[in-house]
Amino acid sequence: MKKSLVLGLTLVLALAGAGLCLAAPIKIGLMAPVTGSWASEGEDMKNIVNLLAEEVNAQGGLLGQSVQVVLVDDAGDPRTASLAAQRLATQGIKAVVGTYGSSVTEASQGIYDENSILQIANGSTAIRLTEKGLKYFFRTCPRDDEQGRVAAQTIQKMGFKKVAILHDNTSYAKGLADEGNALLKKDGIEIVFFDALTPGERDFNAILTKLKAAKPDVVFFTGYFPELGLILRQKKEMNWPVPFIGGDATNNPDLVKIAGKDAAEGYYFLSPPVPQDLPYEKTKAFLKAYIAKHGAAPGSIWAVLAGDGFLTVTEAIKATKSTDPAKLAEFLHGGQHKISGLTGDISFNAKGDRVGEVYRVYRVDAEGNFVLQAK
Amino acid sequence: MEEFFQQLTNGLAVGGIYALIALGYTMVYGVLKLINFAHGDLFTLGAYLGLTLLTSLGLSGRLGPLLGLLLLAVLVMGFVALTGALLERAAYRPLRQSPRLSAVVSALGASIFLQNTIMLIYGARIHVYPQDILPKVAIEIGGLSIPLVRILVFVVSLLLMGALFLFIQRTRLGTAIRAAAIDQAAARLMGINVDQVILIVFLIGPGLGGVAGLLVGLYYGQVNFTMGWVYGLKAFTAAILGGIGNIPGAMVGGLILGVIEALGAAYISVAWKDAIAFFVLIVILIVRPTGLLGERVADKI
Repeated sequence: MKKSLVLGLTLVLALAGAGLCLAAPIKIGLMAPVTGSWASEGEDMKNIVNLLAEEVNAQGGLLGQSVQVVLVDDAGDPRTASLAAQRLATQGIKAVVGTYGSSVTEASQGIYDENSILQIANGSTAIRLTEKGLKYFFRTCPRDDEQGRVAAQTIQKMGFKKVAILHDNTSYAKGLADEGNALLKKDGIEIVFFDALTPGERDFNAILTKLKAAKPDVVFFTGYFPELGLILRQKKEMNWPVPFIGGDATNNPDLVKIAGKDAAEGYYFLSPPVPQDLPYEKTKAFLKAYIAKHGAAPGSIWAVLAGDGFLTVTEAIKATKSTDPAKLAEFLHGGQHKISGLTGDISFNAKGDRVGEVYRVYRVDAEGNFVLQAK
Repeated sequence: MEEFFQQLTNGLAVGGIYALIALGYTMVYGVLKLINFAHGDLFTLGAYLGLTLLTSLGLSGRLGPLLGLLLLAVLVMGFVALTGALLERAAYRPLRQSPRLSAVVSALGASIFLQNTIMLIYGARIHVYPQDILPKVAIEIGGLSIPLVRILVFVVSLLLMGALFLFIQRTRLGTAIRAAAIDQAAARLMGINVDQVILIVFLIGPGLGGVAGLLVGLYYGQVNFTMGWVYGLKAFTAAILGGIGNIPGAMVGGLILGVIEALGAAYISVAWKDAIAFFVLIVILIVRPTGLLGERVADKI
């Protein structure tokens, strides 16, 4: 008796759901860390995608239908993310934008792929995500090995011949260090030092003394900003003028606070451009509208890349005149497209990785500002 | 050879700080047979209090750098010593007659409490000491360039250790502390006020730890609320290395640990320097289970 009741109810709900789907606007999912430790990123992602959706609807929507963003919270947590993905999968959604953390994205990838839902991640840079051959997975952010490549290129372009590499044994920093090491060696550049520091320590004089003895032209640091700030400061106290170049984990204004302006001056780092430095007219207009609505510009590039994920989906729907995920994926994999996004033109390779360079070189000036360097 | 001496001075400065903190562990252990796990957080408190007093009072501006810093050090020492005494009163004295494990759990709780209090008051972000307190001069000795701050850190820690050594060896109170460390019951029978001795130990140990925090703040310029963990662990290691419960042992242990780390990083591997330091510790404990200068076997915890 009870069983049949439950069955009946399920049937009714399912029919109601299907009915809603037919009549409803095109629904695009957004999976973002709205709560948890990355909540500030999630908040920006939500605001950006919603604002873009408003703009699309104001211009008449997609294929004559309006666009509706369905937000689910992944809380920056893989388990929450897999539940969120299952929830979206049961709502007749064809495409999902998100999410930020690599491990969080990884927990949801399989679910979307099984349900043939297009997923476009915005901040997940771990290499393996696109090495699994998933048909429906794309990302608008660069991969970690891309950063290594740009780093090696930049070091070469600056004319350094002897390079020291310092990491901190975290998987991100070690990966970037290994990548840079292999690429630089291949190009005939001598690696005179390759070692790791212990995160959380304060005294790096021993490491600096050893580094100095190796006589590098430049030091490539792949760790995070708190240690780097102390290193730059202690380097200054040693009167050692060697230039440092670092990865995007050192892109934080606190770096200058810790090191002091005079010690931080001249430090180079690679990072996707901060939103205010994006050169495109379209982006400037969008950021203006964003600031008018939310009072401040988005904090980082990753949220802007979620906006690009949304634009990718809407432009692909426009171009294929279809919401069939298989057709959309085929279109995006084809490489024949060029979607104009907030961070420049977007196109994808066969793996679903974004083609083109996102990383830029920044330099810290005498006032402690991060200044974008010409390419 | 030049690199060797450079690394040696690096190691001695770091070791001096380890030694100052290690004294707090070893003195408390000596008298109470308790590892005061909250000691690392008292060290953090010293670093933060130093920052607050430095920026709010402007001492070095008004009194000149040396006198200002001296007064600052005395204030920090006083405040942290008081906190240490309060800690003893609140977290350890009620458990004096309980099994030793209860006091250890209480110490861990006190550590978490202090760390989170500091985070709530100052926030989780990194704080930075003002940069212009001490002149950034390096002194050249025979091809070595040693920053003035490094020499200052080392000299201050040596002076404090020397003063403590004289206090323990030459004064009546110091003798009372040593007596209580050997046998509390017998000391009580000899008319020594053991509660007072414990209170003094909890004033001196945290006071020295607080000054170490201030030195770290001045030397490295950056403080955050979790910094007590790494320093606490290293200082605890130093105390065991020298023989826990033994005051000169903590001093020697701290300096040796700092030097081993610096030389290990220089000549073997930077990434393995902690492993090297702990390897040396294990070897020393195998050869001398009581530590370098230790007399008693540390039988519990």
